[in-house]
Amino acid sequence: MKHRNNGGNYKLLAALTVYRKEIVDALRDRRTLLTVLISSVLMGPAVLFAISALVASLESRAEQREVYVVGIENAPSLKNFLERQTAVIKAAPPDYEAQLRKALFTDPVVVIPKDFEAALRRGDAPVVEVVVDSANQRSSAGAGRVERLLQGFARERAALTLALRGVSLDLLEPVRVEDRDLASTQTRATQITGMLPYFVMMAVLYGALNAALDTTAGERERGSLEPLLMNPLERWALVLGKWAAVASVGMLIAVLSSLSFLPGQWLLRSDNLAAMFQYGLREASLFLVVLLPFAAAVSAVLMAVAIRCKSFKEAQASATVVMLGASLLPLVNVFSLGQESAWHVWVPALAQNVLMTHVLKGEALNAVQIAPPLLVCVVLTIAGVWFVARTLRSAAVR
Amino acid sequence: MIAIEHLAKRFHVVASPAKTGLTGLVKLARRAAPRIVHAVRDVSFEAPDGRITGLLGPNGAGKTTTLRMLAGLITPDAGSLHVDGVDVARAPRDALARMGMLSDARGLYPRLTARENIVYYGRLQGMTRDAANARAEHLAQMFEMGALLDRRTDGFSQGERMKTSLARALVHDPANIVLDEPTNGLDVLATRALRDSLRWLRSPEGGAKCIVFSTHIMQEVERLCDGVVVVSHGRTVARGTVSELLAQTGQADFEEAFVQLAFSADERAHHEAQVDAAVEMVDATTVDGTAA
Repeated sequence: MKHRNNGGNYKLLAALTVYRKEIVDALRDRRTLLTVLISSVLMGPAVLFAISALVASLESRAEQREVYVVGIENAPSLKNFLERQTAVIKAAPPDYEAQLRKALFTDPVVVIPKDFEAALRRGDAPVVEVVVDSANQRSSAGAGRVERLLQGFARERAALTLALRGVSLDLLEPVRVEDRDLASTQTRATQITGMLPYFVMMAVLYGALNAALDTTAGERERGSLEPLLMNPLERWALVLGKWAAVASVGMLIAVLSSLSFLPGQWLLRSDNLAAMFQYGLREASLFLVVLLPFAAAVSAVLMAVAIRCKSFKEAQASATVVMLGASLLPLVNVFSLGQESAWHVWVPALAQNVLMTHVLKGEALNAVQIAPPLLVCVVLTIAGVWFVARTLRSAAVR
Repeated sequence: MIAIEHLAKRFHVVASPAKTGLTGLVKLARRAAPRIVHAVRDVSFEAPDGRITGLLGPNGAGKTTTLRMLAGLITPDAGSLHVDGVDVARAPRDALARMGMLSDARGLYPRLTARENIVYYGRLQGMTRDAANARAEHLAQMFEMGALLDRRTDGFSQGERMKTSLARALVHDPANIVLDEPTNGLDVLATRALRDSLRWLRSPEGGAKCIVFSTHIMQEVERLCDGVVVVSHGRTVARGTVSELLAQTGQADFEEAFVQLAFSADERAHHEAQVDAAVEMVDATTVDGTAA
């Protein structure tokens, strides 16, 4: 043909042409793209903000040292003790039980019986209730602090009684228990920030989903696949161009969502959390080392699933299996409570979650850790692209 | 020039009305033997340059399957296809580069403009961006769609879609043009415009293209085609000009000639019997209706 440049790089040029067209097509799908972009970029800061707000409110409660009591007038000695501990005694609302149940009231309530002082003097061990609703998590979170205060009072009474009788106080404590926490501040922070890798992976998945379905099942549904295959380009070049475009979208989402935690850090309201959550450029780039191959593999797998479907809707249903797998596998890491097995790094989605959790703990990633998931991603990508290229022709005419 | 000889293709169709659910499982367990459908049994014809060749046949005659084999989308079981002497089986991409095909499916990319749709195919045919762009404008002039060129194809009418997909298929100025039922869904004016364009492409000024045109509409063939190939039940049953076919069948009406060529005497008798039965039924109900 007269305009044809038959050079050896025509095949790659064709793949590049397909890539460019798919990218333009994806970028023009403004509404979908904006939804995905906004949710992935805002997600990091939003999650961090929510976590920090929760932690800050728990911390401020701990600092306030407020104790809600019913019947404090029955226990002058306890009142005296609490005041010496610089606790602020407040009267609980009369309908505190109902309020606790409805989570309108978020502090534990101490209930003191009428004959408290008399029973105490007789040595009858009066019962002091700490009322919480375990479904109301904030109230139970404060219970430990209140119980420690009350036990402090009990210990003081016991010590005084024994001292009066000339018994050594050491007898009260035959064994001393001391905590020694080996976790670094960052390791402790992952208990709270552990869900961040999960959110980032979901963003990548949902970012690639739409593009992957549009270039395969969408192309079939529109009836544009058959005419497309009537052009003289190699099928693998066509699929490679399409895959590269989908993977680019997924990778863009990965970059944006990984970087979104950098400014997200400034939003941390809790100083403690800010000190524990170390997320800088180093962590962001390690996240990307893990996420970029993942985006490539996910794109290829989603395309392979969708090419067999005649319509976008059908493809969405089939892709649900992939999405479900990718969202459930990381939970293995959660359920095993940090106990890692060697096989974890060989399972896609789970491996990425494990590695990113390591990054958040402030640990360095070595080649031995990165290699297995990378290998798995490369294999999945090649298998996916191969399958799409193989199925393309029969998919076009069905 | 396109030459097709003794083409044959059969498909294995697995009879599975319900793929899901319990019945589907039972059927799968029973392993129903796949049904063999002979889509194309023996199709041969030659379409010379500078002529419009009509591929005429009833629905399901094997026209689309034949054209898909020509495009290399389906591998034939037997027979050969040559485009300007290039064997489709051996060098499918070289053959495709010599053809502009308008297939049954003619989906456009709704988020791209008409120009982008056309230039994309030009690039895939190995043209430079500038050459593809110039060609898009030339074709837009020819099909009177200049105003559409820089609009997104989302919301185009059937006629506008048709023009865009035809321009897309012709962007590389191919010597052979293959159209599968191009007038489907077109109104009178669009059909006329298409006919004019095809006549021009056939003329020496238009490049004396080899044009193959599949249809099931007699009038199209009568008005446009220099040669007719009648296909029925996957076989070429007749070849020649319209007047030759009329003479062969001894009919004055081309539709009568086509029916005689495409359907066996049994089929025609069966069809007439069915029509008679239907007419009797209608008569009977009308009589009942008036009686009651």
